[in-house]
Amino acid sequence: MIFPSIQFAAFFTLVLPLSWLLMSRPALWKPFITVASYVFYGAASWSFCFLLAGITAGNQLAAVLIGRAQQERVKRGIVAITVALDLGVLGVFKYYGFFAQQTADVLQKVGLGMPLPLVQLALPVGVSFFTFQAISYVVDVKRGLLEPARWLDATVYLSFFPHLVAGPIVRAREFLPQLATPRDPEHVAVGAGIELIALGLVKKVVIADFLARTVVDPVFAVPQAYGGVDALTAAYAYTAQIYCDFSGYTDMAIGLALLMGFVFPQNFRSPYRATGLRDFWRRWHMTLSRFLRDFLYIPLGGNRHGRLLTYRNLLITMVLGGLWHGAAWTFILWGALHGVGLIVEHALGGRVRMPGWLRWLVTFHVVVFGWILFRSPSLSAVGIFLSRFIAGGSATLLTPLVLISLLAVIGLQLIPIGPVEALQVAIARTRPILLGVGLAVVIVFAGATVSSQGVPPFIYFRF
Amino acid sequence: MGRFDEAGERRYSAREAVLVVLLVAVLLALFEGPSILHAGERMTGLGGEIIRGVGRPAASASKRLELAEVAHDSTSFLTPNESLGSAGGGFSGSNRSASAAQLPAVTPDAFDPTKLGLPAPPKRSLHTLLVTGDSMSMPLDSDLAQQLVPRVHVDQDPHIGTGISDSQIVDWGKLSTSQVRNDHPDAVVVFIGANEGFPMAGPNGRQIECCSPEWAALYAERVRIIANTYRQNGDARVFWVTLPDQREAAREKIARVVNAAIEVGVQPWADQVRLLNAASIFTPNGYRDAMPIAGAETIVRESDGIHLNDAGSKLLASYVIADLKRDFTY
Repeated sequence: MIFPSIQFAAFFTLVLPLSWLLMSRPALWKPFITVASYVFYGAASWSFCFLLAGITAGNQLAAVLIGRAQQERVKRGIVAITVALDLGVLGVFKYYGFFAQQTADVLQKVGLGMPLPLVQLALPVGVSFFTFQAISYVVDVKRGLLEPARWLDATVYLSFFPHLVAGPIVRAREFLPQLATPRDPEHVAVGAGIELIALGLVKKVVIADFLARTVVDPVFAVPQAYGGVDALTAAYAYTAQIYCDFSGYTDMAIGLALLMGFVFPQNFRSPYRATGLRDFWRRWHMTLSRFLRDFLYIPLGGNRHGRLLTYRNLLITMVLGGLWHGAAWTFILWGALHGVGLIVEHALGGRVRMPGWLRWLVTFHVVVFGWILFRSPSLSAVGIFLSRFIAGGSATLLTPLVLISLLAVIGLQLIPIGPVEALQVAIARTRPILLGVGLAVVIVFAGATVSSQGVPPFIYFRF
Repeated sequence: MGRFDEAGERRYSAREAVLVVLLVAVLLALFEGPSILHAGERMTGLGGEIIRGVGRPAASASKRLELAEVAHDSTSFLTPNESLGSAGGGFSGSNRSASAAQLPAVTPDAFDPTKLGLPAPPKRSLHTLLVTGDSMSMPLDSDLAQQLVPRVHVDQDPHIGTGISDSQIVDWGKLSTSQVRNDHPDAVVVFIGANEGFPMAGPNGRQIECCSPEWAALYAERVRIIANTYRQNGDARVFWVTLPDQREAAREKIARVVNAAIEVGVQPWADQVRLLNAASIFTPNGYRDAMPIAGAETIVRESDGIHLNDAGSKLLASYVIADLKRDFTY
């Protein structure tokens, strides 16, 4: 079930009132919301629910055992086994085909070619997200930052539908305390919730899908059919599309959770305003970057063991971050690009003086270049795409509407944050009934922009 | 204190949250009732029943109060879909090619000249290729474009989620007319059939359910209208890809009828509308996920058991290219 769909609208219209009706009785509310979340997840495929249940049971068992264990090495052992199993599940669904194919290709080249077992596995939606949440839970318990939760609480945490399929990656420390007491029905951020849902809808349905349909998909599918200006337009358009698609989803997820009384962490903070890659990763997919920092970069040693090891740790973290997105060399290269960029920033250490606007320009275009790698279907397609930049040809895709979309998405992020946030707060304080009418109008108008092909899936559903 | 507390945004009650959501639901039901009903008709299972249960009274109220019309008129300027309103060739009764009382004439176009012992007609120049259909035509369209661009202009025009038997989203009769008017393609590759099996209106307006011979006949008639449009009186060639076997039995039942109907539908123009039998390529002995390609067992179907994956699509593209080369130079 995707958020901008009639099925979800019907689902949420039923679930929200029931949720608040049962909220004061956690013994009823928790099973109810668990069932509702599994219904939401099962709409994609019922078999995926077994995977979610299995991950939940395995990690909760591990957390309980860690809580009971006295010895540190026992706790470490349980964490190691659990994380290995979680990553193993991820590996089988996401990476088996890729590694099998790469291995087969290498064996073929050295004359040892043999047929490897072919496995056709559908990628369960959201598996990358809930396995990472499960890992964060178990590790935080082991670190003593959290007590093992009750079974039902852990189940609610891992299956809660607003964040289930594409994040944000909510830490157990952020969510479980919110389950400790029923949400206060007298203090609900209705305005902010409605505003975020409307904003997310416009970003995803109106802007992202428009840019995908009219510019990005045609050019990235057959780059050789387009000239340099169109290729450049497509690169900028994908930069705007992926931001609107992913942050749009996150906005809706956060908004829906707010209406239910829960607060999720922020996931995006004007990322295209960044004046360095370190700054970028503090603004883009913030919950993933903090996960990678806390569970990969710091355990590897972080920056505590000298320059060379710091660079190694940065590169490993970013390459694995790229690999998390999918089993393809383009994702690995994208991660490596950011890793190398972070290393260069670290190495220069502020020694190169650059005006702020130039730092922004360089950072922005490194990010844009990275998105070309991210979006291209293969390495050879990257080469073809980049070669178009030196080709002639007229601008066939840079229509006024495309230009306005690009300027709006990127330009609005450059506006000082203070006035934007003040405006958001002012809108959120509007009377709910007016916000409701406004949301209905937004839905009707946004729905009119949907083509006969329907609303495409969110980009991050693929991960 | 959370960021929403700092801004004092948690100032409303749960009751207001619920009322807002219910208000939005009611407004959407009133203004988009027909869309809700239509979405429900395309869904199966309990979810579909619930949506249809909501959609029927919503559509009725919406039409009675003329609110659906208000919503449509206010937002029609935003639609990205091509306006097919003025395009001819739709699936209305007035466009039926022959009445039951008349025998359709057999014309020379029904014959492949080589089967009559005649030389093949000279090859034509291929300037524009239209690749169209539903999601089955992807990524075949990109694969063909990769191989033909820049020598040939390839117009990729998939319409995901549409079907010949479901005219509510897109009327393929009108769409094909519009495509030909805009592109004047020299050749058209059609691959459609993943969203079929919908009831169609028979001669007396009665809804004919899939997958009876009557339904097959209606489907064949629609295929005939589309093929006739695409062939442009013999100026173009049409390459219609039939469906490979489907994994699910229910889908396979529909696919079998669709393929049979396509075969009948294109019969009047064997010389100009060629069938590419995907079943013989991918599923000669029933459904399979993988097949040998260049000596290596390769998965060629998506995990849904319906679509071809990248490897399958590339293989299909090679067959299409081979067919194109028989009729065209480029």
